[in-house]
Amino acid sequence: MSLLQVTDLKKNFGKENAVRGLTFQLEQGKCVALLGPNGAGKTTTLRMLAGLLEPSSGEIIFDEQQGVTDYRKWLGYLPQNPTFYGWMSGQEYIRFAAGLSGMEQKEIGKRTEAVLSKVGLQDAAKRRISGYSGGMKQRLGFAQALIHEPKLLILDEPVSALDPIGRREVINLLREIRQETTVLFSTHVLHDAEEICDDILVMAKGRLVEQGSLSSLREKHRQPLVIVQVEREREALLWLDSLKSKPYVIQADIKADIAELTVHDLGSARDELMREATENRIPLVRFEAGSSSLEDMFVKVVSAQ
Amino acid sequence: MRSTWIFYRKEMLDMSRSFKLIWIPIVFAILGITQPIISVFMPEILEMSGGVPPEMLSLYETPSSAMVMVQVLSQYSTMGVLILVLAGMNSVSGERHGGTAELIMVRPISSFSIMIAKWFAQCTQLLIAFGFGYIASFYYTYQMIGSLSWTSGLASFGLYGLWLILAMTITLLFSTILRGAGAAFVTLAILALLSLLNSLLPTWFTWSPARLSSLAAEVLIGNTLSVSSVIICCLITVGIIVVCLLSAARLLQKRVLPN
Repeated sequence: MSLLQVTDLKKNFGKENAVRGLTFQLEQGKCVALLGPNGAGKTTTLRMLAGLLEPSSGEIIFDEQQGVTDYRKWLGYLPQNPTFYGWMSGQEYIRFAAGLSGMEQKEIGKRTEAVLSKVGLQDAAKRRISGYSGGMKQRLGFAQALIHEPKLLILDEPVSALDPIGRREVINLLREIRQETTVLFSTHVLHDAEEICDDILVMAKGRLVEQGSLSSLREKHRQPLVIVQVEREREALLWLDSLKSKPYVIQADIKADIAELTVHDLGSARDELMREATENRIPLVRFEAGSSSLEDMFVKVVSAQ
Repeated sequence: MRSTWIFYRKEMLDMSRSFKLIWIPIVFAILGITQPIISVFMPEILEMSGGVPPEMLSLYETPSSAMVMVQVLSQYSTMGVLILVLAGMNSVSGERHGGTAELIMVRPISSFSIMIAKWFAQCTQLLIAFGFGYIASFYYTYQMIGSLSWTSGLASFGLYGLWLILAMTITLLFSTILRGAGAAFVTLAILALLSLLNSLLPTWFTWSPARLSSLAAEVLIGNTLSVSSVIICCLITVGIIVVCLLSAARLLQKRVLPN
């Protein structure tokens, strides 16, 4: 079931086209990463989805079945650098945010406590926000985005500004949150996306250049490439040279003890090679069946633009 | 409605935590009280400073209590307005440029609710400050110089209060468009221009909101005012306030994020 449907979304700032026509949909319950290099238009896109920027053209439909027009009630949003009122305490801010989202007074008390302890701020809840560290502010940002149990959580670079420990905490938190709600977050750290996401959208220069589930993208961009390296022994080198003429090899690039073989089908080629190597007792040094990483895919699709 | 109330409470909490709710009334009271005190003790002050011939001192007449109250209002026209404008200039621009607006506007609250809440909060602060200062100066003048009419005092409070509310509303409007200092500058320039035109060409600008301050002074002195000109003045001022608020709300909606 699609929760958010975006059609041909565009945004111009003067003559500059920040976003040039995005079409995608978010499935309910998924965790989706919006990837892209700096300046790709990720923040602009998220701000339009959050209703902070008016799109120049295009359509955003939230929860088609229920026909919600002002969907801000169902949205949790965390900007790149969230700022709070320093003179409030963490608890006061969360209560304030909950009130603005239209929650009932009784509910607010319970939820505030629950959310603050979820993000690990229960001990600092009564302290002024001006005394919070960067990581604590980020966690407070999560708390304010979660307080009203949104259907969709939009996070703009939730981890890039944090130190490794803060990053770890946020990733773990995200992993918990994604059990409960749909999450769309932008990042330029591929590793984070790989760790927690189901689906990926890749943006470059204001366009969507690749989208799909993590596994399907891996499959699609997998290079059918096998790299074999052997000990520098005569028999082994001969065997390596003989690989050129195997039927499953399309192209072979053999440099002394290393062979890079482009193959028809990765699975069967791998089996075949392994079997032969064992049968002939070839002293293997390295054997790589080429699944190119997400990073290779990213570099490839982004630089193709 | 409920979100307006929540936002109003947040604004008031901000004002009390930043002590604006205390120091602005205190400044207004000091401004108000010094006027009657100086008027009464002027001969002594001049004598102490020396070099003033005694003949001149004997010529000094303590002004009437109504005149002293008029001087108090003129103090408020300069220092009072300046303080209110400076205190209010960051009300919206601080939230826009500081980034707190971004987290507010993603919630289901309209920009109109935000502006109304801010306006009422500023009004509360203004009326507390002006009310406190005015009562203090009224009391001191009454005690030190002589009796004053309660009703004309009240009428002048109302007229002058409306002028101050207009000043505050204009600050709020420009605070949505410009950064703090720019907003203060533009507001003060507009107010100065209005007052200047009113005093240079009083017959042309009988409808001008700046007339409110001169009407307030006239009420104190005891002149009878033409009811129609008071009503026109008030209506026009209220109209300007409403237009300012509506356009501020519209502008905030259009540009939550600073470019």
